[in-house]
Amino acid sequence: MTARGTDRLRGVLRDLGAAAAFLAMTLSSQVPLWMALVFIAALGLALLDLRPFAGHVRESALLLLGSILVLWAMVASGHMDLVVAACTCAALLTAQRMLSAPGPAVDQQVALSGLLMLCGGAALSADLAFLPCLFAYTILTSLAVTLGEVQRAAPAGAPPPARPVLRAAVALVLVAVVGGALFFFAFPRLSWNLAAHRSTLSLGGPVAGLGDRLRLGGSGELKSNPRIVFRAELEPDPRVDSLDGYWVAYRFDTFDGVEWREQAHPGRPLQRLTVGPRTSRGISQTIELLPAYGSRTAVALDRPVQFSMATAYLPAYSIRTALLPMGDESVRFDGSASGFRYNAYSVPIPARVEPDAATRDRRLELPPHLDPRIPALAHELAGNATEPAQMARRLERGLLQRYRYTLELPGPVADPLADFLFQRRAGHCEDFATALAVLLRTLGIPSRVVTGFYGGERIANVYAVRAGDAHAWVEADVPAGTLRLDATPPQNRSAARTTLLSWFLGAYERLEVRWLSGVVDYSFADQVTFLRGMGGGASQRRGLQAHLPRAAPLAGLGALVLGAGLLWFLWRRREDEAGRLGGALHRLLAAAGLLAPGQWLEELPRAPQAVPTPVRRAVARYLEARFGTRPLQRGERRALLDAARTALHGPRAL
Amino acid sequence: MKFAQRLARWRRWFRPPRTLRVTRAGKTYLLLTLGVGLGALNTGNNLLYLVLGVQLATIVASGLLSEASLRGLRIRRLGAEAPHAGEPFVYRWAVSRQRGMAFALTFSESHPELVGSSTLALLRPSEEVVVRCQLLAPRRGPYALEGVRVTTTFPLGLFSKGRILEVPGELLVFPRRIPAPKADAVAEAGRGDRPARRYRREGDGDTAGLRPLREGEDARRVHWLKSAQRGQLLRVERDAEETRSVVLYLDTAALGAPLERACEEAAARVKALLALGAEVGLEAAPERLLPDHGPRHERRLLGVLARAGLEEANPP
Repeated sequence: MTARGTDRLRGVLRDLGAAAAFLAMTLSSQVPLWMALVFIAALGLALLDLRPFAGHVRESALLLLGSILVLWAMVASGHMDLVVAACTCAALLTAQRMLSAPGPAVDQQVALSGLLMLCGGAALSADLAFLPCLFAYTILTSLAVTLGEVQRAAPAGAPPPARPVLRAAVALVLVAVVGGALFFFAFPRLSWNLAAHRSTLSLGGPVAGLGDRLRLGGSGELKSNPRIVFRAELEPDPRVDSLDGYWVAYRFDTFDGVEWREQAHPGRPLQRLTVGPRTSRGISQTIELLPAYGSRTAVALDRPVQFSMATAYLPAYSIRTALLPMGDESVRFDGSASGFRYNAYSVPIPARVEPDAATRDRRLELPPHLDPRIPALAHELAGNATEPAQMARRLERGLLQRYRYTLELPGPVADPLADFLFQRRAGHCEDFATALAVLLRTLGIPSRVVTGFYGGERIANVYAVRAGDAHAWVEADVPAGTLRLDATPPQNRSAARTTLLSWFLGAYERLEVRWLSGVVDYSFADQVTFLRGMGGGASQRRGLQAHLPRAAPLAGLGALVLGAGLLWFLWRRREDEAGRLGGALHRLLAAAGLLAPGQWLEELPRAPQAVPTPVRRAVARYLEARFGTRPLQRGERRALLDAARTALHGPRAL
Repeated sequence: MKFAQRLARWRRWFRPPRTLRVTRAGKTYLLLTLGVGLGALNTGNNLLYLVLGVQLATIVASGLLSEASLRGLRIRRLGAEAPHAGEPFVYRWAVSRQRGMAFALTFSESHPELVGSSTLALLRPSEEVVVRCQLLAPRRGPYALEGVRVTTTFPLGLFSKGRILEVPGELLVFPRRIPAPKADAVAEAGRGDRPARRYRREGDGDTAGLRPLREGEDARRVHWLKSAQRGQLLRVERDAEETRSVVLYLDTAALGAPLERACEEAAARVKALLALGAEVGLEAAPERLLPDHGPRHERRLLGVLARAGLEEANPP
C-alpha cells in the first residue's frame, strides 16, 4: 500500500470511529437535530477526503468557539440540558478536527474527542446499541491511531507497513475489550446506580394492546408479537425457564354484549399503595415496564396487594412517581412516561375477598340482548353440580373441551359471543374468557374478565414477558374466595410462534434484557451474589467456611499482587543474569590483577597467555549472553564462575 | 566492596528496567480516564464503568504492546565516518530481533552530550536493519558510550516507553571544523619541509607519454582508449610532482580554550595540506606520526588531534 493509500485508510478508520462514538451519543435522541446534520455533513466531507478547514485553522477555531458560546448561552437560559450541551460541544470539536489537515496528532485529537462523545452517550442512554458503538469506536480508533503512530516513525513519503500494524492493533483491541469486561465485572461498585439513564430503545411504538376497554371481535395479531413489554425480578425466584403465572393489569365488570368496561374511579395519588393484606406466601416483584407496554396501568402477579417505589423514565431523566388506586384493584401511575419501574407484592389466588353488594351485582349483570341459547349452554355444561366452585370448574372444562383456539377471526360481528359459542366454535382468549364469565353469570356466580399477561421467559435472572403473552381470563367469586378460571387451551395462552422477522426482533429484545440485567443494572449486590455463588452458597456453610466468599476477593487480590511481584522478580533476575556474571568476573579479575580499574572485560583477550582458559571461556560466554547472541542457561552462571575461580585461585577448600 | 558501590548496586537493582514518559496526548487521555472514573464512582452509571474499563484496559494493552516492541532487541554499533564536533554527523547502528515484530522505535545514544535520534517504523524478525542517525557532539574527544536508548510510543502514542540497551563502545569526535588559515599553509608549515619520498615511482603530474604495460604493473595506469585503438595495453607515464612533507607541532601542554583552538587550527591545516598533496606528520606529545598522505592517515592525524590533551574517554 502506498503512503497516500495508508493516509486514506487511516483517515477513514478514524472518521468511522468518530461516527460510532457520535452514534452512541445520538441513541438517546437528545442530541439536537442540527448537530446531527452538522456531524453527518462533516463525516461525509471527511470520508470524501475534503478538508475545508485544513488551511483555515484560526477561522475554524473561532467558529468552534462561537458555537460553544452559543451552546453555553442556551444552557444558561435553560433551553438546553448541561449534559446534552457538553455532548454537543464534543461533537462540534470532533467535526472541526475531522475537517482539519490530517495527521497522527489530529487522529489522536479526534480519538480523544470521540471518547468524550462516548462518555456523553453513556450518560444519556442505556441502550443495548451502545455496546456495538463502543466496540466499533475502540476497534476503528485503535487501528487508526496505531497506524498513525507507526507512520510517524516511517521515513517521509515511505508507506508504513499497514498489514503488520493492523494485526498488532487487533491484539490491542482484544486485550482492551477483554480487560475492559473483566474490570467492569470485578471492580467493586461503591455507589448506587442512581444516574444511569433507563429509557430503552423502542423499536416502534407501544404494542401491548391493553386498554381500559376490551372489545370482542379483534384480530389475534398481537399473539405473534415477540416484543418484550416488561421484565420482572421475583423474590423468591421460582427458577423456572417458563413461568406459569398470571400478570394482572385490568379487571372488567361491565359487559354490553360487545365490549367490556372497567369501573375505575381514580383515588388520591400515593407513593406506597396497599390494596390488601400481605401474607407469608406472597411474592415480591420488581417490575420494569418497557416502552412497548405503552400503558400507565401497573401489572403484577396473581392478586397484587401492595405497590411502591414507582419510578418513571422520562426522555432526559428518571423521576419518582405516585400511584393512583383505581377502585377496582387496579393501579395506575400518576403521569405518562416511556417506561416505569416499581415494586409490587402479590398474594396467591385463591384469596378471600368479600365484594360489596354493588360490586357483586355488577359482576352478575348480563348483557341486555343475551342470546337465549347461552343460559341453556351454561346449565348443560354445569351438569348436576351444585357448588359454585364445582359449577365454575365444569364450565371451564366444558369450554376447554368443546371449543377450538384460533387467531383467524372474521372481524367485528353483531353478537360476537353467540358467534363464538354457536357459529364458529373457535376463538382466542378474549372469546373464551367472555364466554366463561357470561356463562358463570347466567348461573348466578359473580365473575369478571381480567386482562394481562400469561407466562414469562427467564432471561438472566429476570422474567421477560412479551406482547404475545397478552391474555384474558376470568375471576369468579365463590364462597371459598376468588377463583381464577382460564378456559383458553393451555398451549395457546402464551405467545404464538413467530415469523423470521419477529424472531429477530425477539432475539434483539432478549439481548436487551440481558444487557439491562447484566450491564446497566449490574450492582454490588450482583457482585456479592456472584462471589457467594462461586463459594457454593454462604447459607450452606458454617464457621470459617461461611466467611470464605467474603475473603475471596482479598485473597484473589493478594494472590494477584504476589504473582505479579514474583514474575517481576524472576524477570529481573533473568534479565540481569548476564550482568551479574559480568560483575562477578570483573571483580574476580580485578582482584587477581588481570584487569586494571576502569578496564572493560572486553579488553581481556589482549593478553591471552596470562589468562587461564576457563576465565577466558567465562568472559566469552558473558559477552555472548550480554549482547543477546545466546542467553545463559539455568545454573550456567554459577558453573562458569566456579570454574574461573578454580582456575585463578585453585580448588575451593571444603 | 565500598559502601557507595554497594549502594549503587542496590539502586541499580531496584531501578526499573524501563523508563516511561507520558506524552501530551497521554496526559489528556489520563485526565479523561480520571474524569470518567470519578464520574462512574460518583453516579454509579454502569456504562461509564464500561467505558472506564475499556480505557484502563487500553492503557494496559498499550503497555504490553510497547513492551513487546522493546524486548529482544539486539544492537551493533557501526559507528560514524568522520564525526566533527559542532556539526551533525551520521551514526549507524545495526538493529535486529530474533522473534516478533517491533514497531515505531526511536534510537539515540544514552550519552547525555550526544544529541540526535532516529526512528524505525518496523523491525521484522531475523532481519538486520541499519539505522542511520544524525548525531551532534558538542566537543572533540573520545566519548565513552555505554548504551543505546530505544524508545517507542507504539501503539497509541500515549506513553513513550524506553530502555537502554547496554552496548559499550567509544565514539571519537574530531576537532571542530574551522576555515583553514589564510596564509599559505605549505609555506607556513615550518621546519621539516623535505622532498617527496624516494620510493615513489609514479608521478601525479602532467601526462608525459604512453608505453606498453609490463607484467606486474598497476592496471589502473592503463589508458584504455589508446589501448583499444592500438590493440595493445598502454600505460600512461606522468611527470613526478614535487611533493612537500610537513610535520605539524601541537603544544599539548596548553589547557582549555587555547588547546581547543590549536587543535582546531591543526585539524584545518591537516586537511588543507593533504588537499594540496603534501605529506603531513604530527607531533603532539606523547604521540608522534610520521608524514604521510591518504584518507587513512588523515583519520589517524585527526584522531590524535581529537585525543590531544585528554587522558581518557569522557564518561557520560
